[in-house]
Amino acid sequence: MFLCLLISVVKYLMGLILKWSFPSAKIKKDYTWQPTVSVLLPCYNEGETVYQTIESISRSNYPAELFEIIAQDDCSVDDSFEWMQKAQRDFTNIRIRTGRNGVNCGKARTVCNALQHSEAELIISIDSDCIFHPDCMRELAACFSEPKIGSVGGRVGVRNPNDSVITAIQTIIYYSAFQLYKIPENWTRSVCCISGCLFAIRRELLLEIEPAIRGRNWFGIPVNQGEDRFLTHQTLLRGYGTYINTDALCWTTVPTTLSVLFKQQLRWRRSIVRDLFYTLRTLPQHVWKLHPNTVLTLVLTPLGAVVALLVVVTMLTSDPLAWTGPMPLVTYLGIAAVLSWVISKHSVEETLEHPLAFGAYVAWSIVSTVFITPLALFTMDSADWGTRTKQEITTQEMDTPLVNSGN
Amino acid sequence: MSTPAINSLPTVEAAPPPRQSFVYKSILTLYRVFAIVVLYAILIGILAYAFIMGFYAVNTTWMAPVILSASDEKSLDFLQKLVTSRQMLQDLHVDILHQQTTLDEMTKHRAALEALDPELQQAIARERVHDQKTGPQLAGLDAQKQTDNAKTKAVLAQLDQTEVQIHKDLANGLITKGDAATQIAAINQARDAYTDSRIAEVLLTDNVLDKTTNGTKSMDVLEKQAELRSEIAQLDVTLAVSEKQLQEDNRQVDALRAAIATARQSPYYLNATGNNRLYFAFVPYENQESAKVGAPIYDCYLDMVLCRKVGTVKQIFLGEEDITHPIFKTQVRGFTVQMELSHPNSAKSKTVFLGRKPLLF
Repeated sequence: MFLCLLISVVKYLMGLILKWSFPSAKIKKDYTWQPTVSVLLPCYNEGETVYQTIESISRSNYPAELFEIIAQDDCSVDDSFEWMQKAQRDFTNIRIRTGRNGVNCGKARTVCNALQHSEAELIISIDSDCIFHPDCMRELAACFSEPKIGSVGGRVGVRNPNDSVITAIQTIIYYSAFQLYKIPENWTRSVCCISGCLFAIRRELLLEIEPAIRGRNWFGIPVNQGEDRFLTHQTLLRGYGTYINTDALCWTTVPTTLSVLFKQQLRWRRSIVRDLFYTLRTLPQHVWKLHPNTVLTLVLTPLGAVVALLVVVTMLTSDPLAWTGPMPLVTYLGIAAVLSWVISKHSVEETLEHPLAFGAYVAWSIVSTVFITPLALFTMDSADWGTRTKQEITTQEMDTPLVNSGN
Repeated sequence: MSTPAINSLPTVEAAPPPRQSFVYKSILTLYRVFAIVVLYAILIGILAYAFIMGFYAVNTTWMAPVILSASDEKSLDFLQKLVTSRQMLQDLHVDILHQQTTLDEMTKHRAALEALDPELQQAIARERVHDQKTGPQLAGLDAQKQTDNAKTKAVLAQLDQTEVQIHKDLANGLITKGDAATQIAAINQARDAYTDSRIAEVLLTDNVLDKTTNGTKSMDVLEKQAELRSEIAQLDVTLAVSEKQLQEDNRQVDALRAAIATARQSPYYLNATGNNRLYFAFVPYENQESAKVGAPIYDCYLDMVLCRKVGTVKQIFLGEEDITHPIFKTQVRGFTVQMELSHPNSAKSKTVFLGRKPLLF
């Protein structure tokens, strides 16, 4: 337990030191290396947002002739597919292909389906609710000049930092995770989880992994969640390096309500637990193949989430009012004060109006640890994505009637 | 990809779901049953935890039984202090008695000394009056004596010639030796009488001097008087100090008696000195209103339900105590009560309740 906590603290401190003192920890980017790119855009019930996502990609400063968008709808019950087709018609400066799954099969398999249509050297899988910085694709591609790099991720910023206390908390968490927590993993080119919001991977590698993605199951139940962690893990096991390029930026809309956040965190926690079990099951393989830093991260980070449950339960039974004391609050307010200042300096768009709202993280951390971990442990058979509602939308509810113009 | 174009991809048909083996199905069923049980257990645990927290946050009748063993450190410490206090009290009593006796003696001595002073004054006065009376008389007699002696001296001068004549007569054989010796002896006797008279004169003069002037004798008397007064003053100081000491000792005795009386009101005293097993409970100040002598005590299952009466409050001790809250684990201030328990096992409960059943059943 203590070791897990220590490693977390050490990782943040190491991130800080590496960021300031070791420029060599950063990858050597070669912007002249411009491979062909397929941007895979799996989509489910995103509505108009998918249009905005495609629009942001269309503004990319990567040569238009070198990339395409392959948007694959996973049987959305809303008008997402129509918005995809509208984008296809509107942004003619780039090549956009749209497709649809026969049945709803989850994000991971939708990506695999889209992959079938790609012939590019590089695949960038993105979330259909993200907005991309024009430099994003260029930044990601430049990292692949190192031949041993298999997957590269970008930094995910928060589009709606000031919507609520919950989004304010997530803004600080996201920022510190990408700018500090993952830096020590970057150092050894062994990031253990590249966010699925923005995931670049060599096509040959993805094709190699694809059968494993399609075959993922939990005692016969197909696993649709945590494909990003799985892909990153598989990349590492195949001897490739993984890296987060914080200059490749995309923006996501984080959950604004507690229930949606809870479901999202539950999904993430399930994938963390699943990944831990997988790591432990194949530990010898990991020990021989991977950098010790990677093994430690793969084992101790998820173990920390499980152990944290025991810590909180022990704390609540032995000293129930400890978490109501000033120390946790002061700690989180201190973190909020420092990080919000840093964010306002380096990422103006994410500037928090009420940074001290991060103090509420004390309460969320209790909820998150006590409820989410056991729930994740005992709902491993759930395939529910959680944050996408399967609501029926009638054509009368659409703002703009769209015509499927696919040819 | 060289030409931007609009393309629609063919619909991808889903692959058939993998067949689940019997083993997998069995494992999944077991897992789901186990998961449901565990998750419901966790849910019930969390709800129960939240309820207990809320219950103890608002309940004002709970108290925590405290079992004090005979070898309880606080009781032993208390007993040791009590024994020391009693010993001190005894020592003080002896000390006070001794001081009181000494004080009485000194008071008597002072009274005796003080009684001497006027007597001495009177004696001096009497002597002065006597001297004033006898002094002039003696002076007169002294003068008379001097005159007499002068006359005697003149007569003695004549006796010298008579003695020469006697010797001459003896030599001439005019008188016998016996007569001569007799006559000379008479002359010597006269001379001796004169010498005595002279001595008496000197003594008389000396006596007159004593009676008519302030001589060393009167100084001695005054010194004696001063010594007497000094001794009385010293006694006064000693008496004052002794009285203060006595007062201080008496105050200390009162304080010790009060402390011992308070100690007798402590559960630790009762525990340390009592022969029977006694039962105590800690009552937080928040629940003070419920703690009354004779109030019924209830013991409950799961610290709150299915309660039964197990005794009454026998005695309330006012001394402040603090313990760790049995549920919240924080320090709580309060006091102790002695319980009269009909069910001694309730002394081992985490909490018991005063006055009524906390949840009415």
